[in-house]
Amino acid sequence: MNDVPLLVYLGIGLFMFATGAVGVVVRRNPVVVFMCIELMLNAVNLTFLAFARYAPSPLVPPGGQQHTWMAGQMAVIFVMAVAAAEVAVGLGIIMAIYRLRNKVDLDEMSTMRG
Amino acid sequence: MQNPIFDQVWWVIGLPLIGWLIQCLFGKNVIQSLGPATGKRVMGSIAVLAIAASFAIGVMIIQALAQLPADQRAVSRTLFDWINIASIRIPFELRIDPLSMTMVMVITGIGSLIHLYATGYMAEEKDYPRFFAYLNLFVAFMLVLVLGNNLPMLFIGWEGVGLCSYLLIGFWYKDFANSKAANKAFIVNRIGDVGLVLGMGLLVSLISSNPAAVAGADGRWLSYDVLFEYLPSIVAANPAMATAIALCLFVGACGKSAQFPLYLWLPDAMAGPTPVSALIHAATMVTAGVVLLNRMQVVFAASPVASSIVVIVGLCTAIFAALIAFGQTDIKKVLAYSTVSQLGLMFIACGAGYYWVGMFHVITHAFFKALLFLGSGAVIHAMAHDQDMRNYGNLRKYIPITFITMVIGWIAIAGVPLTSGWFSKEDILHDALYSQQAMLGGVNIGMYAGWIGFFAAFLTAVYMTRMMMLTFWGGQERWKLIPAHAGGHHEDHHHEHAHAHAHHDHGPDTHGFFYTDEELAKTHEEHGHHHELDENHKPHEVPPSMWIPLAVLALFSAGAGLWLKGYKAFPSLPKDTLEKWLEPVKYAEEKAHGGAHHSPIPFEQFITPIGYWVGIVGIILGVLWYLRGLPKAEGWDLARWNPFRRAAADQFGYDRAMVDAGIEGGGLLGTFMWKVVDNKIVDGAVNGLAGAMGVLSKGFGWFQSGYARGYALMMLVGSVAILGWLIYFFNTTGGRS
Repeated sequence: MNDVPLLVYLGIGLFMFATGAVGVVVRRNPVVVFMCIELMLNAVNLTFLAFARYAPSPLVPPGGQQHTWMAGQMAVIFVMAVAAAEVAVGLGIIMAIYRLRNKVDLDEMSTMRG
Repeated sequence: MQNPIFDQVWWVIGLPLIGWLIQCLFGKNVIQSLGPATGKRVMGSIAVLAIAASFAIGVMIIQALAQLPADQRAVSRTLFDWINIASIRIPFELRIDPLSMTMVMVITGIGSLIHLYATGYMAEEKDYPRFFAYLNLFVAFMLVLVLGNNLPMLFIGWEGVGLCSYLLIGFWYKDFANSKAANKAFIVNRIGDVGLVLGMGLLVSLISSNPAAVAGADGRWLSYDVLFEYLPSIVAANPAMATAIALCLFVGACGKSAQFPLYLWLPDAMAGPTPVSALIHAATMVTAGVVLLNRMQVVFAASPVASSIVVIVGLCTAIFAALIAFGQTDIKKVLAYSTVSQLGLMFIACGAGYYWVGMFHVITHAFFKALLFLGSGAVIHAMAHDQDMRNYGNLRKYIPITFITMVIGWIAIAGVPLTSGWFSKEDILHDALYSQQAMLGGVNIGMYAGWIGFFAAFLTAVYMTRMMMLTFWGGQERWKLIPAHAGGHHEDHHHEHAHAHAHHDHGPDTHGFFYTDEELAKTHEEHGHHHELDENHKPHEVPPSMWIPLAVLALFSAGAGLWLKGYKAFPSLPKDTLEKWLEPVKYAEEKAHGGAHHSPIPFEQFITPIGYWVGIVGIILGVLWYLRGLPKAEGWDLARWNPFRRAAADQFGYDRAMVDAGIEGGGLLGTFMWKVVDNKIVDGAVNGLAGAMGVLSKGFGWFQSGYARGYALMMLVGSVAILGWLIYFFNTTGGRS
């Protein structure tokens, strides 16, 4: 387990995040954009876990309470919960828009143009 | 240990206020539930009682005050802190001293008589409680004005009496002319108020910059005791500032006391009911300016320039108003101009540095002018509300009590020796002649004012004789001779009722103390079809509720001078009572008193005989002039009037010029503000700013593409930029700022 260096986790995380970010910017299908957002969130989760494993928070004093070592993992749990909630809301919005327009193209939703 | 009666001074103001509240809250209900006659009797009695009780307390206080040694006759009572902010404190405090208590006596004494009179005069009035509510409130405010121990409290009263004056001038508001007169009075008074407020501001700025006053005054800059203590030395060191303050205060006095540039509201104020004219526009409110000058005499005494201006303004007013009075046919207008003229004389006294003499004339004038106004009210009452003297004549046969009392008022104002008016007028003119206070560029203005003042006194005697002769004598009963084309002269509120009416013979005078129900019913009937003056009219004497005040005032008009001044032929009478009484409120040295050490003036030997004879000669001349009734040159046909009298009737064009200038000048200013300042400058700035914002937002709007991915890209770029900056920052500073 320890054979895999931290840099690999970070590299995979960066790759996932970049992929997700590019996908959010270039794709017009909201479902794909959602998947890309999930990809970015999971990239962040991976980074959290990697740091939790390799570089525990320097804020925790040495010999301090053990549970504070779990800060990274806890952050991941929160991110997943928020992501789930966000997907529920976002899919609801997408469904509503589809019912309204029979079409879900992000570039069509530009009524906020200044 | 001070007399506990001084603590009751609040009741002096409180009782009229309570009376006002009673009239406001219960007046209508009482009159509805008791019927008009009984209800009005009850409400009228309450209104009179409120003022009379206030007078009684005033008498007790003034007796207690007289028992104190002269130098301790200044007691103040504080109720609460009215204004207490950084570096200025204005308590709600009253000052009991000879000046304030003298005015309290005049206000409540004459006030209760006039209230009593008004119960009769206004008996036909539907809005009876409203009238007495205003009148009680006026008395309360007037008492605040004179009793307050600081200038802001004087200002409360000042504005309050202005308000009540406005309400009462416009009492018959359904007639547009009355509303206009009320507005004119209110607006012209505002000019004076600006001066008063500026004067107060200057006073604060002057006294609060003085270290001694800062240490001792405790922020009460405008309280009289502080002013009297610190101001004499301060104004002596700042004569220019003293002049500025004095002139500002005098502008205020000019507004309230109807002096020359601002007098023009007072004649129009005669639109109000006659008791109002007597109380507010003759006896009390218009003398507020003289009270102010008395209070602030230390400032005026320090400024010969301001004193000279006071004298000049007073003199111009006295002469100008007296000349206008010759052209007036409305009996109340004559008295109004006479009031303006007499106020001018009071200001001559004040300007000459004899402030207590101004008060003397305030008191005597209050007696005889209230008497004359109430008498004229009785005449108007008798003549079916016609105020035109050309329609009177020979009335002495019909209304003997009014006639006798008015004759006393007439000889008093004309200055027949030993009447009250003679004493105060003599004092004013003599003191002005010998005064060295009003010096302007080496010229003794006071002396010239004294000589010209005799001419004003002469004019007064002549025009008052004209009024009396036209009203009470003349052989003909001219209302029976009114030419048809002269029908439009009724100045009162009834003139919209045309000639369709039935004639009433009022029968013998069988009045009780008040009007009876039948009489009231009859007068109500008259309201329906107006009782017009015509050959069948028979003037009737007023009831005792109206002539008793006349009799009391006549007594004082005749005797007040002997009482307050004394006369050398009656050695048993006390001398100089009023001067000694007002001695404690003198804070300024009188310059060159006319006693042993005065410098002689030219033609000195004529002063005393002129003083004795000027009024008598004026009366004789007037009697000869009007012995044969109404001269043709003053008759109903204006075309036959001589040019002087026509000009006088028109106030020599002054009123019209001022009003036109005010209205047209105001119109021009308004148009300028609208077309140039508002349309061009203000709108330009606002529209320009809006336009610039439009252009700016167009530019920013370009970023709002509406594409979600566009925003996502922006966020990405932004985040990367911030991260990059943070990395750069940490790398260069090591995390320490």
